[in-house]
Amino acid sequence: MDVSLSAQHIVKRYGGVVALADGNLNVASGEVVALLGANGSGKSTLSKIITGVVSPNEGSLLIDGRPTTLSSPQIAKKLGITAVYQELSLIPDMTVSENIWLTHEPLRGKSLIKNREVRARTQELLNLFSGTFKSLAPDIPVKMLPPDERQIVEILKALSTQPRLIILDEATASLDTQQVNRLFDLVADWKSRGMAIVFVSHRMEEIFRVADRATVLRSGRSVGDIPMSDATRESLVELMIEGASTPRNIAIDSVKSDAPVRLSVEKLTTSVLKNIAFELRDGELLGLGGLHGQGQSDLLLTLFGDIPHTGKIILSQKPVNFTHPRQAMDNQVAFVPGDRATEGLLLIRSILENLQLPSWANFGTPLNINRARAESQNTAQSLNVVMASLDAPVSSLSGGNAQKIVIGKWMSRNPKLLLLNDPTKGVDVGAKGEFYNLLAQLQQQGTAILFYSSDDDELLGLCNRVLVLHDGEITAELSGGDLTHANLVSASMGTQQENNV
Amino acid sequence: MINSLKALQTRLSPPLLALLLAIILYFIGGILAPGFVNVEQAINIVRLAAFLGIIAAGQTLIIISGSEGIDLSAGAVVTLGAILAFRISNGQDSMVIPGLLVALAAGASIGFSNGLGITLFGIPPLVMTLGMTGVVAGTIRAVTRGELEGGTPPIMGKLISAPLVAGLPGVIFLWLLIGFGMWLLLERTAYGKQLFAIGINRTTARLSGVRVQLVVLATYTLGGLLAALGGFILLAFSQTVFLNLGQPYLFPSIAAVVVGGTVLAGGQGSYWGTMSGALVLTLLQSLLRALQIEEALQLIVLGSTLVVLISFYGRERKLRQ
Amino acid sequence: MNQSSLQSFLRRNPYLFTLLLLVVAIFFNFQFQDNLFEANVVNRNMRVLLPTMLLTVGQAIVIIGGGIDLSVGTMVSMINAILVTRILPDSTSSEIALGFFLACGAGILAGMFNGLCVAYLRLQPVVTTYATSFVFSGIALAILPRPAGQIPRPLTDFYRNPQLGIPTAVYIIILLLIFWVLLRSTRYGQFLFATGSKANAAYTTGVPVVRIRFSTYVWSGLFAAFAAIALTLLSGSGDPRLGDDMTLPTIVAVVLGGTRLSGGQGGIAGPLMGVAILTVIGNIISFANIDSWYQDLVNALIIIIALAGPGIVRLIRRLIGR
Repeated sequence: MDVSLSAQHIVKRYGGVVALADGNLNVASGEVVALLGANGSGKSTLSKIITGVVSPNEGSLLIDGRPTTLSSPQIAKKLGITAVYQELSLIPDMTVSENIWLTHEPLRGKSLIKNREVRARTQELLNLFSGTFKSLAPDIPVKMLPPDERQIVEILKALSTQPRLIILDEATASLDTQQVNRLFDLVADWKSRGMAIVFVSHRMEEIFRVADRATVLRSGRSVGDIPMSDATRESLVELMIEGASTPRNIAIDSVKSDAPVRLSVEKLTTSVLKNIAFELRDGELLGLGGLHGQGQSDLLLTLFGDIPHTGKIILSQKPVNFTHPRQAMDNQVAFVPGDRATEGLLLIRSILENLQLPSWANFGTPLNINRARAESQNTAQSLNVVMASLDAPVSSLSGGNAQKIVIGKWMSRNPKLLLLNDPTKGVDVGAKGEFYNLLAQLQQQGTAILFYSSDDDELLGLCNRVLVLHDGEITAELSGGDLTHANLVSASMGTQQENNV
Repeated sequence: MINSLKALQTRLSPPLLALLLAIILYFIGGILAPGFVNVEQAINIVRLAAFLGIIAAGQTLIIISGSEGIDLSAGAVVTLGAILAFRISNGQDSMVIPGLLVALAAGASIGFSNGLGITLFGIPPLVMTLGMTGVVAGTIRAVTRGELEGGTPPIMGKLISAPLVAGLPGVIFLWLLIGFGMWLLLERTAYGKQLFAIGINRTTARLSGVRVQLVVLATYTLGGLLAALGGFILLAFSQTVFLNLGQPYLFPSIAAVVVGGTVLAGGQGSYWGTMSGALVLTLLQSLLRALQIEEALQLIVLGSTLVVLISFYGRERKLRQ
Repeated sequence: MNQSSLQSFLRRNPYLFTLLLLVVAIFFNFQFQDNLFEANVVNRNMRVLLPTMLLTVGQAIVIIGGGIDLSVGTMVSMINAILVTRILPDSTSSEIALGFFLACGAGILAGMFNGLCVAYLRLQPVVTTYATSFVFSGIALAILPRPAGQIPRPLTDFYRNPQLGIPTAVYIIILLLIFWVLLRSTRYGQFLFATGSKANAAYTTGVPVVRIRFSTYVWSGLFAAFAAIALTLLSGSGDPRLGDDMTLPTIVAVVLGGTRLSGGQGGIAGPLMGVAILTVIGNIISFANIDSWYQDLVNALIIIIALAGPGIVRLIRRLIGR
């Protein structure tokens, strides 16, 4: 196998927004090139262009040295270029094998699908990841699989086309440690067979493990193409953001142990959670950790009243049983979802509308819009939102500012309990810093915060205490000296924690 | 030409665009059919548009609510409202209010049932309201047994249908009042804000504390109520009832909403748009009638025109960008 | 059978509920009409069922592909008008063949028009096909302003009478089922389900989504032509409004048959049973001595209850689960 791809000076515009101003990427057989960049850097646009999903406005794409136009993902696939996205391309109602072989099913004659061969070859592919999954089988509908197994199906689907160049676009985000290790073993094998691999990620540790070179994008331009042997974490981060890198951790004062208990949970059980019990005091930032999909989101949503449960929840010293988020809100609980585009914002509506969505009932009938504007202005200012005006659509904001609006929704309601569901996923480094400052502020004001993050570093840097969930249960409560990365990881895997004396 | 049309489309809001279209149609009518452009005809057209516009008010709310919201039972509810008002009031002015109230209550109940089927039993709005049409039509047959007795109180004709002030019939003022009321409802109440929210993204709405199911239920109930109101007002114009009274207004009501810029996917739109849309549709139908085009051709032109109009307003997102 | 294997069995065979409904409905029908299983009654029922069944197959394909076609009924009216104006009592066999050919052509053209608007222009299916239904209705009226026409006896006899002791309709239904099994095992079939289930994902995977959507409307038009042929042979004459009321039953039948309106799953066996259920319910009502003024209402109520069925079951399961 011999392949090379060279993207040169790619420009891509979406209406008035320039997603890519000067995108460049070079990769050849037997190498793994990492593609790095903050949110809004154009990294996913570039990856979509080299796989034919999106067409560039300007620039050239050379495949095997020849200028090529990729007018559709099909053309790209025929040239041997396949991408693995974050479960973007799976059909939920279809089975694992149907998904893997869609558009290139082995046929008898010209039209009839050879079902037995499909099943056999699917099993072969599944065996590549054997031992790392629970439910995968050829005939299971994909919608019944957890996110990590769906990601494996995406990877196998790409592999089934026998690609010469494979792009892993944030493909490890949903995978657990065991699965990532297996994937990297496979990557090494692919390299030795002459495949070219592009690895789009924001996880430094993984990039340093698997990549040979790194291409960095910033604000739509390529700013560096460096061999990994010459790179350090700091130098890469510096390339990614303008100026010096922001400190990742904020020093938090330890919680006063006599602060009132805001939340007390006993024997909390849902279809996913099993007998959860813990306490949370005012001013405390309690972390939730563990691998993906172990019940962290479920816990937060249950506390917010969106999931039915049994067990006891005592909020502000009163037992509560919320059956709808509205009730939680009325009891001064706030919830910040991780996927702000689909759960936190009404993209086409104005910033004003988004900020006041939970609170319109407070403005009388007919609504006192002037008062709503004044309040929204205050909230936006106190959060340092960079916006054209309150009436601009929220889709015009950058990722970090949009996330502020998601939080801003709740600020004027003075929540006593703040539930955060992986809020910094996909937020760039600069905005993360501002977010951490905000959390510190809220803590000082006495807000109790329950914070799920899929980024272990974040948990370690921000929290004094972390509950680790595995399979819907709390397998460890780490604090003080016990709160180390090693303990976090082993608790995430469900193994016993080591006690540091 | 297409490019300048497209540029026009993005710079003007859909209701204004529809209004512009209505004016253009009016003058085309003047050119093609002599005698089309005169004050009396204009008032008549606005009057007819008012009936359609009022009937389309409920449809506007339902389409904004999103999730494939639509009310195909509106035509039947219009008929039901008219028949009930006709029978209860029995031609007596003193019984007008009870007639109206009974009609509104019936419309609201039908709407409520639609809402229940959609929220509680998960029946898609298209199917639920289509099925409900059969129930309403069946109820009308069962209750009236084919005999449509009653009467239209003279006061209705006087206040609504006949010239009231400056030659303009009361329905036009009523329509403006309803227009203002709808604006208040959509833009100046918590309900309105929540309605747009659930039309855009139900998950975000729910996680922001909106009781989505209740809003949907309220919307369909209101839709039924407004359709029945439309039937009551239509009675003032037709002065009699028949089994197919409301059905011809169903398709135009949906068309009026779409032409007025309310997006079928939900979450965007206004009643002003529907009002302009009602004018456009009424003009189109009047024009076709004035040109004495036979029914077959009228249907073809009406259907094709709507397809053309939707291609300006109702296109969905591209898969490839 | 434990809980989860029961669930996966039910999942893979969504039309079991439909089958149950059908059996129950037939049982009740038999109570009121004891000659239900006699040969000539069966034949009469089958030949009345077939046009709607053919129409429903087309509708099912469109719905599985993620769309919907509200113009199928008026397409039938239009094609019926074409047929009776082309096939006259004294037509030669080649003229008759031409008539059928034109009918199919008209169906395909009408379907292509719908497909162009929905797939290529990306217009919303509900309102667009509702609009085109007026166009087809107008064309029907233009071709055939008043009910008229007479189809030659040999043709209608062939359709109405059993062949080799089995109603003609049964042969067609068997062909339909074979057609579907074949379609399901082709790549096209996979594309169809992928497009209806999640068009974005299908597109990213390289499925020609736009072409697939277009093709579903062409199928719908073709099956509308078949339905019109069957209906014309059944009635023996023409009426510009003949098929107008057929649209709603096709949609209800698809839903009753366990196929989701949003697309991406299902088949045609369920919807075909759904058509049968609707007809049997109609039979029950006419034979059950219900006041004729109440018959329409009862029919409509039963349909609503049947539509609510899956939702009621889900509601009960959720309440029990709490």
